[in-house]
Parts: sequence; C-alpha cells; structure tokens
Amino acid sequence: MMSETCIKTQSTNMNTGVNQGINPAVADGALEAEQKAKKAEVILELKNVRVQFKGKGRKPIVAVNDVSFQVYKGETLGLVGETGSGKTSIGRAIVRINETAAGEILFKGRRINGVIPKELDREVTRKIQMIFQDPMASLNERAKVDYIVSEGLYNIGGFKDEAERRAKVEKALLEVGLLPEFASRFPHEFSGGQRQRIGIARALIMEPEFIIADEPISSLDVSIRAQVLNLLLDLQKKKGLTYLFISHDLSVVRFIADRVAVMYKGRLVELADTEELFHSPLHPYTRALLSAIPVPDPRIEKKKKVLVYDPSCHDYSKDPPRWVEIKKGHFVLANNAEIDQYLAKIDAGGLANEFLWLQ
Amino acid sequence: MLKYSLRRLLHSLVTLFMVLTLVFLLMRLLPVEGYYGERADKLTPAQKEAILRKMGLLDPWYVQLRNFYLQLLRGDLGVSVIYRANVPVKEILAAKIPYSVAFGLGALVLSLVAGLAMGIHMAQNKGLFWDKFWTWYVVFINAVPGAVYLLFIQLYGTSITGLPMLFDRYNVRSWILPLVSMSLSGIAANAMWLRRFMVDELNKDYIRLARAKGMSSRAIMVKHVLRNAFVPLANYLPASILFTISGSIYVESLYSIPGMGGLLVTAISRQDNPLVQALVLIYSSLGILGLFLGDVLMAILDPRIRLEKQGGAR
Amino acid sequence: MMTAKEKEVIQAIEEQELFTFAQYDPEAAERTGYSDYSYWRSTIRVFLRNKTAVFLLILMTSLVAFTFIQPYLPGQKDPIKIHIDPNTGLQLRNHPPDKEFWFGTNSIGQDLWARLWSGTRTSLLIAIIVGIWEIVFGTFVGAIWGYVRPLEAFLTEAYNVISNIPTTIILMLIAYILRPSFQTMIIAMCATGWLGMARFVRNQIVIIRDREYNLASRCLGTPTGRIIVKNLLPYLVSVMVMRVALSIPGTIGWEVFLTYIGLGLPLNIPSLGNLLNEGRRVMMAPALRYQLFFPAVVLSVITVSFYVLGNAFADASDPRNHF
Ligand SMILES: Nc1ncnc2c1ncn2[C@@H]1O[C@H](COP(=O)(O)OP(=O)(O)OP(=O)(O)O)[C@@H](O)[C@H]1O
Ligand SMILES: [Mg+2]
Repeated sequence: MMSETCIKTQSTNMNTGVNQGINPAVADGALEAEQKAKKAEVILELKNVRVQFKGKGRKPIVAVNDVSFQVYKGETLGLVGETGSGKTSIGRAIVRINETAAGEILFKGRRINGVIPKELDREVTRKIQMIFQDPMASLNERAKVDYIVSEGLYNIGGFKDEAERRAKVEKALLEVGLLPEFASRFPHEFSGGQRQRIGIARALIMEPEFIIADEPISSLDVSIRAQVLNLLLDLQKKKGLTYLFISHDLSVVRFIADRVAVMYKGRLVELADTEELFHSPLHPYTRALLSAIPVPDPRIEKKKKVLVYDPSCHDYSKDPPRWVEIKKGHFVLANNAEIDQYLAKIDAGGLANEFLWLQ
Repeated sequence: MLKYSLRRLLHSLVTLFMVLTLVFLLMRLLPVEGYYGERADKLTPAQKEAILRKMGLLDPWYVQLRNFYLQLLRGDLGVSVIYRANVPVKEILAAKIPYSVAFGLGALVLSLVAGLAMGIHMAQNKGLFWDKFWTWYVVFINAVPGAVYLLFIQLYGTSITGLPMLFDRYNVRSWILPLVSMSLSGIAANAMWLRRFMVDELNKDYIRLARAKGMSSRAIMVKHVLRNAFVPLANYLPASILFTISGSIYVESLYSIPGMGGLLVTAISRQDNPLVQALVLIYSSLGILGLFLGDVLMAILDPRIRLEKQGGAR
Repeated sequence: MMTAKEKEVIQAIEEQELFTFAQYDPEAAERTGYSDYSYWRSTIRVFLRNKTAVFLLILMTSLVAFTFIQPYLPGQKDPIKIHIDPNTGLQLRNHPPDKEFWFGTNSIGQDLWARLWSGTRTSLLIAIIVGIWEIVFGTFVGAIWGYVRPLEAFLTEAYNVISNIPTTIILMLIAYILRPSFQTMIIAMCATGWLGMARFVRNQIVIIRDREYNLASRCLGTPTGRIIVKNLLPYLVSVMVMRVALSIPGTIGWEVFLTYIGLGLPLNIPSLGNLLNEGRRVMMAPALRYQLFFPAVVLSVITVSFYVLGNAFADASDPRNHF
C-alpha cells in the first residue's frame, strides 16, 4: 500500500491495530460540510496562484506554487504548514503586499491581484485586514496608540471630524478589551498580549469582512494565547467576520478552524473540513503532521508512532500531481495512481485509523 | 574572478561615460573669460566671439558633445590658454603626473602601514592609555580641517626638524613632510576602522574560547582577530583612494609640488578653462579607476567579497 | 500571659489580614503591562554619563552663545573698520595684542578680536545652513531612494556616478563656475553635502522598511509619503542629529580649503577661512603668528566639540547602550 511505503515509522512499537469500522463523526462532518458549502457564499477565491521572489542567482524562489482554494463567508479557514512553506506569502499576496506571478485572487468574485481600479483598491484595503505575527515588531514604536489604531481611518477618510475619530478609536479599543485611556500611550508601555490586541483594534476599526491572522498567537506567552484566541472567536461571532488563520500549531487550528488547508513547500497538499482532516487524512504529509501532535496522556503518547514524511515516495516524474476534490469538500494533491489509492481507501470505508488517539 | 572583474570593469566604464558627460555639461557653465587668454581686457567683442567660435563653443550643444567625445577618444585634452598659452594640455600634464602618482601611492602605502599598526596597537590596549591617546589623535584629525593642521605641520615641521619647507625634487628630505601630511587622515581612518572591527571580533565567543583553551593572546590576535577584522576593512579601503586624492590637492599646492593638484589650484586661480577641464576629467577618472582597482584587488584577496558584490551596485 | 483562646483569635485575625484572596480584576491586570522606559530620557541619561561630552557641550554652548551676543556687548569694535594710528596717520598694521586691541590688529589695521567673532558667526551660519539643507534634502532623497522601489536602481546609479568624483573637485568646480560669494559658498557645499546623508538615510531605511509595522501600514493603505514621515523618519531623528553635528566641522573645513585656493568669501566678509588665510600670509614672521593662532584655536575648539558631541550623541541614542 502506497501510504505504507511513503511513511517511515519512528516508533519501535509495531502494534498496528487496524480498525476498519466507519467513524460516524467523520460521516457527520462530511455531511455538514456539504450542506454548508451549498449555502455558503464564497468570499475569497484563489485560482492557481503563484508567488515568487528574486533569488540569489537567476532562478527565482517560488514561495507559493499553483495554489487554489475558496474561503466561505463567516468561516475560519486554517492554513498550516512547516516554516518556509509559504503561508505568509499567501496571506501577503491577498493583501497585495506580495505580487502574484500567476493566477487570480478573487474577492467576492472580483479580481484583486495585479493592476486594479482605484476604487476597488480602496474597498479591498478596507475590507481585508491583516493581524501580524509579532506584536513587538508590528506596531510603530514612535507613534501613539491613538494614531496606530486610527491610521486606516485617515487613509479611507473614515471620519467626519476629530470627535468621531476619537469615538471610533475608543470603541475599537473597548472591543478588544483595552482601556480607552491607553490611546495616549506609546506601544512600548504594553505587554505582548496587549500589543497584539492593539493590532487587532487597528484592523477592526476598518470594519473589515475578511481578516488574515498570520500566526497571531505564536509569539505570545502561553498564558495569554487563549485570551487572544477567544477574543478572535468573540469578534467573529459578533461581526460575522471571516478568518484565514495561519498557524503551524495544529491543536490551535483544530480549536479555531472550520476547515483546514495543509501546505508543503509552496503547494497545498490537502484541504478538508477540520474534523474530517483530523480523522481521516489522506496525504502522507498531513498524516505525518498529525502524528506529531503531542497527546496529554502519557500511555498513549508512549505507544504513539511518529511518522516521518519522505517526499521521494511520490513518483511524479511521469504522472504529475493535480489538485483534486477527491470527495465532496475534501481536496488533495495527487496524481492518477494516488487518486485511485485514496479512492479505494475511502471506499473501503476505513480511512486512516492511526489517528484514533486524536479523538 | 575574471567574470567579476569584467563585470566590474563594464560598470566602471559606464560610470566613466556618465561622469564625462556630467563634466561636459558643467564645463559649458564655466565663465567664458577663462577662454580668452591674457589679453581678455583688450579684445573687442568680435574678437572674443571669434575665439569662442574657433574653440567650437558656439556650436549647437550636440555638436559640441560629439566633438568632446571624439577629442577624448583621440586623447586630445585641448590647449592651455593662460597657464602656458598655446601649449597642449597633454604636454603640461606629462611632466606633472609622475609626481602626483608617486606622492599618491606613497601616501596610500604609508597610511595603510601606519594606520594598521596604530589600529592594532589601539585594539591591544583597548581602554588603556594608548587607546585613548590614539583615539584623540583620530578625533583631532577627523574633526579639525586638514587645511588648518597641515599648515601648522608645515610651519613647525620645518622649524623644529629643519626639513625644507618647499618641495625640491632632488632633495629626498623635502619629500618627507608632504608625504606625512598626505597620509595623516588616511592613517586616522584606517586605524579607527581596524580598531572597531578588531574590537567587534575580540568580543566574539570563539575568542573567549581560544583564550580559555590557553592560546596566547599574541597568537589569537594574529591568527583570528586580525585576519577576520581585515575583511570588513578591505571593503572600505577602495574608498580611501578618493580621500587621498582630495588631500593631495591641498598638500601639493602647500609645498609647491609640481603635480596635478597644485596645477589645478593654479589653473583655477588664473582662470585657464581648458586646463581646469582636463584636470577635472583626470581626477574624476582617477577616482573611478581607483575604486575599480581597489575592488578587484580586494576580490582577489577575499573571495567572499566577490560573491557578495555580484549583486551589482556597490 | 495569653490564653490559648486569645492566641487562636489573634492567629485568626492575622491570617485574615496576611492572606486575603485577590479578586481577579481585568482592568487592574491591564495596567500591569506598563513599563516606563522612554527612549529620549534614556538617551539623555547615557549622554550625561559621558564626562568629556558634557564638558565640551558646556564649552561649545558658551562659545556659540558668546559668538552671537558679542556684537551687543559694550566696547566692541567694528570687524571691518580700518583703524588709523593717531600718531602717524597711517593704518594701524599688525598691532600686537594689548588692552585696546585684545587680539591685535591684522595687516591692514582691522581689530582681530571683532573679526574673529564675526568670522566665527559667518562660518557657523554657513555650516548651519548647509547642515539644515543636508537634513532636508539628503533625507528627502534618501527616503525616496530607500523606500520607493522603482526609483531605487536609478538613484543608486546616480549616486555611483557622483560619488566617484572626489568631493573636492565638485566643490572647486562649482565655486569656480559661480564666482566667489556668500551664496556660492553655500550652493557649492549644499550641492555636495547631501550625498552622504542621502546614502546614510537610505541604508537606514532599507534596514527598517520591511519591519512588520511598515507592512501593516501598507495593508491599511497608508500612502508612501505618510509612511516615510510617520513610520521611518522618527526612527532616524537621532542619527540625523548626529550627522549634522558631524557635518559642521566638515563644512567649516571646506570653507577654509576653498578660501585657500582663492574661491572663498570676499575679503570684506570675515570668516574663519579668510582669517586663517590672512594669518597664513604672515605666519613666517614669528611676531605675527598670533594672527594665525587665534582663529586656529577657536576653529579647533568648535570643530572638535561638534565632532565629539556628534559621536557621543550617536552612542547615547543607540538603544543597545540604554541598558
Ligand atoms: N521578501 C522575500 N524575498 C525573498 N524570499 C522570500 C521573501 N519572503 C519569503 N521568502 C521565501 O519564501 C518562502 C516562503 O516564505 P513564507 O514566509 O511565506 O513562509 P511561512 O510558511 O510563512 O514560514 P513561517 O512559518 O516561518 O512564517 C521561504 O523560502 C522564504 O525564504
Ligand atoms: Mg510566516
């Protein structure tokens, strides 16, 4: 079986108790996703997007290669992958900091990459906002919180007079749980969690619909991560926001995301509903990632196998891989041979079973 | 190596071409009196116009520009009008260039040798008397204009040591003061940079490790610190050629050295336009040539620079 | 003697007082993030630790202040008035320093004391004007060079061309073209002075332009001009102050040099360059060397002070030295 050759087991424990039963949770999850997909409106769509940077020599560095996915209104799409896999590059391509070398990015059906009209530019600037990874680096140290938070308003002419601007800043600060009096202070007076919330307030004041959160909690102290995550969830509920949540921490993504996309070396390798992905991952890389999640129970942890992904297991020389929807709402990067294997696996009803401990 | 040199050469040539054009444009702004020669007051307007026409200065600018390039390609630098009227500039320069080159190279070598010695001495005595002493030297030389302290060196250098005040090519002793004068700022700069880079290097962990292993501090200095500190210094060295050029103009004139620097000062004060133009061209080209040679030399010495600089502009 | 009961009561009270449960108060928690590190206060603190710099700061401030109030003090002479010897009716040439002429007179009988302060004023004025221009124009070009990417290659090339020509040559050429005057002096030095600043600002901006807070501003659609003014320049203020402090000795030096080669200010405007040049002409006579010394000493004090202060400020404004 292909997946067996693809993945080397690092544990000496050879106990592979095979469970062939259908996991009811998975079936439910798939059904829900299907219903949701029918109803949901696509807010953002990437079609074969490619992002590259000038490299040292003549060859460019391809950070994002042929990536396609859709984001539905009101959901949270998690984007995971190891460092350098191109997650940030995708996020920055959407907010148009990185140019795209190929492909299309559509926001509510309108193309927003490349050259676009001024007024669309303004609209996009307003409706798509970003929350940055490092709150120590993402605030201008030499500006007061008041300016930092209202910076976007100045750009879109978002207030009639000084009083309205102040009121908006105050509201945004309150919304993220900060005191309005903080407006007159400088960023260096705040802790990491507070700074991150200032960053969120800066995005919120624009009344965005879509927020890209690029590892918003990974540089925060563990004790305040939950606080910021909950804040993001609250805001989503209150304002009907859509998130693209970038992270390399699978447990966090599982907690916050409705669907998860897995990225490896610039390409998406798998995308599915969160529960489906966690219960029945298809792509060997996803499976390797999941196997590495630590489990709080030491007995399970001991028995658990950590899988190592070896990309040479794919034979893509003759038959290059495609991004296919192998099952409703479940995408995977595979070539024809692999597609057959995955389909057989799905049909057999027993999707991966090594991950029961995750439940 | 060859590839890097060629690329660097090409870049220098492009720069040279642009500098020449820039100089040409500036030259069209020169005061026209500088073309008339000695009898400027006595000339009638018609005669003045005739002179300008003969020199091609009344042609349309693009004709002038073309002639300018063609002349340069032929190696024709024009004819002096006042300094030595009607003598080709090339002839005048031929006698002067050797002095300037000799002094320039001498000063470069002296500032390198003495500067490195001073820098090492400072780093070895970091925070102690000699470090502070030389630091004050560096501060003084960098802060006080050369035009001031060089004057005092000439004044007291001659009265205290009995060295000659003016240059005399047959008297070796008369070379000493100008050579030292030209080197002082270079010594200060080299010493300052070398000290800084060496101190950076000394603070690194591997040096502490070498010390802990019992390596003698002399061996550490030579084997690790100096070698590594020289690399960033090498990056900076080519630019010091420009400073040497700047400094030499004043010193040559101060000691009446029959070089190009003194000549430029004279040509300007006597308003000899063709001579000024030729000297400006030469000095600008020298700057470009100096930077080119410096870069290539450093690339030979340190392959890392070669890789770094392949990106393009310096 | 305490009874067991009393002891118990006291213990109970003590426990109550010593250990009370803290209520979680989110507002109070918010306030704890506060740290009172202030960039400028720390910069000043570090600067004041440098004794030499403080001494030179006081010395130089008094010197500059004196330069500007000197003409309004009682008993000051006119710097360009030629004094006549009442006995002979001739110019009071090379009169050695005494009670009347504190620093003596020059070779045409002008009061050196008055000329010295007047000349210092002129030279400082030129240096300050050039310094301000260097900040304004150099920063402007440097900011565009570092931040507006389409112009980067062009400006780099232009810089390479100009920086390949020795500054001396450019200065001499401009001064020659424009003929000597106060304006010429300023134009010539403004034409070359900004180059170093532009490159410096550019290098600084390249270092900070890709920091996340700048990306954040771009996401918010902040126009480039305001990004430069609000996000980049405030980080450069301290280094710009330092650069100007360092440029002042340089400008004074160029003025002296241009005067020496005959492209300086007209003789009726006293300047440090003119005074040194006058002193140089008579320096071979030991009795007249005071005419060279006085201006040289004042000039050295000013240039060394600015240079040392600039470097001390650079050290103090580096956040790495704040802890
Ligand atoms: N501005 C840039 N210039 C050149 N290369 C870049 C640039 N930005 C990113 N890259 C390269 O693109 C690739 C993808 O980087 P990216 O930052 O998108 O990864 P990431 O998944 O966000 O990683 P991390 O988890 O570390 O944030 C990397 O190889 C990186 O070196
Ligand atoms: Mg990233």
